[in-house]
Amino acid sequence: MAADKQTLLDYYRKMVLIRRFEETMEEYAKKGYIPGFLHLGIGQEAAQVGTMANFQPGDYVLPDHRSHGVCLMVGTPTREVMAEIFGKKTGTNGGRGGSMHVADFKRGNVGNNAIQGSTMATACGLALAAQVKKTKSVTFNFIGDGTVGRGEFHESLNLAGIWKLPIIYVLVNNGYAISTRATDAHPLADLAKMGCAYNVPGVTVDGNDVEAVHAAAKEAVDRARRGEGATIVELKTYRWQGHFSGDPASYRPEEEVRAWKEKCPIKRLREKLLAQRMADGAEIKAIEDDVEREIQDALKFSIDSPAPTPEDALTFVYVGREVTGK
Amino acid sequence: MRTLNFREALNEALHQEMAADSRVIVLGEDVARMGGDFGVTMGLLAKFGPDRVRDTPLSEAAIIGAANGAAFCGLRPVAEIMFADFITECYDQLVNNSAKAHYMFNGQVMAPIVVRTASGAGFRAAYHHSQNIEAWFMNIPGLTIVAPSTPYDAKGLLIGSIRDDNPIIFLEHKMLYGTTGEVPEEPYALPIGVAEVKRPGSDVTVVASMKQLHYALAAAEQLAAEEEISCEVIDLRTIKPFDKATILASVRKTGRVVLVNEAPKTGSINAEISAVIMEEAFKDLKAPVERVNSLDVPVGFAPVLEDHVIPGPTDIAKAVRKVIDYN
Repeated sequence: MAADKQTLLDYYRKMVLIRRFEETMEEYAKKGYIPGFLHLGIGQEAAQVGTMANFQPGDYVLPDHRSHGVCLMVGTPTREVMAEIFGKKTGTNGGRGGSMHVADFKRGNVGNNAIQGSTMATACGLALAAQVKKTKSVTFNFIGDGTVGRGEFHESLNLAGIWKLPIIYVLVNNGYAISTRATDAHPLADLAKMGCAYNVPGVTVDGNDVEAVHAAAKEAVDRARRGEGATIVELKTYRWQGHFSGDPASYRPEEEVRAWKEKCPIKRLREKLLAQRMADGAEIKAIEDDVEREIQDALKFSIDSPAPTPEDALTFVYVGREVTGK
Repeated sequence: MRTLNFREALNEALHQEMAADSRVIVLGEDVARMGGDFGVTMGLLAKFGPDRVRDTPLSEAAIIGAANGAAFCGLRPVAEIMFADFITECYDQLVNNSAKAHYMFNGQVMAPIVVRTASGAGFRAAYHHSQNIEAWFMNIPGLTIVAPSTPYDAKGLLIGSIRDDNPIIFLEHKMLYGTTGEVPEEPYALPIGVAEVKRPGSDVTVVASMKQLHYALAAAEQLAAEEEISCEVIDLRTIKPFDKATILASVRKTGRVVLVNEAPKTGSINAEISAVIMEEAFKDLKAPVERVNSLDVPVGFAPVLEDHVIPGPTDIAKAVRKVIDYN
């Protein structure tokens, strides 16, 4: 069934929000406001929005290395995600997580993780708990193509296969693990087929087509919720930036980058909305202006918020046990 | 009082905690149908069913990762890593996830998992079934290491560990499984981080744990009987965080210290305990701190190789005499 106008406009707003969020992060990283590494998901918005449109209260998500966007999709206020990336006390993790560890447990975001594939083992436990507690919770596990090389990928798929764990593996295949091409690192072009060995079905989808992403993810999520086990949904897409903000990505041919930018998921949806007269230019602009207000609000909040105190470094090391300071 | 062996005491702890708390689950290799390679999880599958007692494939990373995830959702997983040597396969999960989850997510979540594992030498099992791994985890904030040496402590510390809200590596020295002792039938939790003076004494403080604790007690007995040397023997019981107060109180009394640990000497927990004694009780020392450890080599196969490397009562007695003779 084709998505209705309101749904598509919602997708559009969310994709523009993620795009503007990421562009703003890059701008403020360059201006020196953001410490550390920044891995941007510009170009991958459809994969994030289309999948997460299936996320329900009670579900869990483990975002991947490039998924500020996923963190925005569980309902965490944009300003709290941004403030976390700025390392501020008002951020989701009180500024102690940063870009690579944004988490919001009460909304189901179990946190991204800077060890690629490590979350796949965690996902097994979230899904196992759903079985033990007999809930209908589904775990959304975002991973990248590089993760396919990790031991946890194989151990976890095996476990998901034998225990029929309610997991959707969202394999965002953007073609590169830093500089290494997915086609050089793995023996299959369609990595969804990797599930075959573990009796975990897989499907490969155009990751820049938000509607196709949503439909494939929905099938996988519904299947998991019915108790039929895990599915790999491979989303073929591309990251426009280098691995981290500031990486010139000289390992990629310019024409390849240009070609993928032509396939921009946002542009694609905008053109469809306009061509099918589901929205006019004014409506599109109104959405973009609304997003811009949200971004500017979050930015002001993030800049104005206080940093954590040095003493905050000593809390939450153990539960119920103090750590001695200097 | 009733007598149980170390294995039975652990098994009883698991049965009682699983019966009392539906959040407790057990997972690992051969823990369900077989009841564990050392028999510690016997009878759990029959009593608590396949949802809560799960055999896994040979996937240590997935075992610990799954334990973490289940713990995030409010369960209390007890994971078994069959031999401590295999813990390298899940080192990332323990170091980067279990240990840091509470901290990096700003207290939003806890990782109350217990990782039971059979450690230590003596089984003639060579390189990959004989190691002592506590030092591998000493440098990781967020982790706790518990190491009982008697059946009574095994039961009480396992229950205490399951009820604790932190990730705990629970070491079971494999040469202790058959040792016996008095164990109350009712469930009881012993506190984490509290050592015990096993034998009071006045001349030398001897700090040990697990199997080496028994060697230390044997050496102390012999030194008292034959040489009139009075050793105060302390059982660490928790290795991280170790009980500074009990150790320092004893050191202030005796002024002489022998630290005993079965792992290789370089970088072992003895180095850390020694450093704390230097920092906090230097003026009370009458002799340099003496360390008794394995030699800095792997645990070989032929019994003569293993026996040459692993310390025993003779090595401990020799170290005690050395600190006594220092003037």
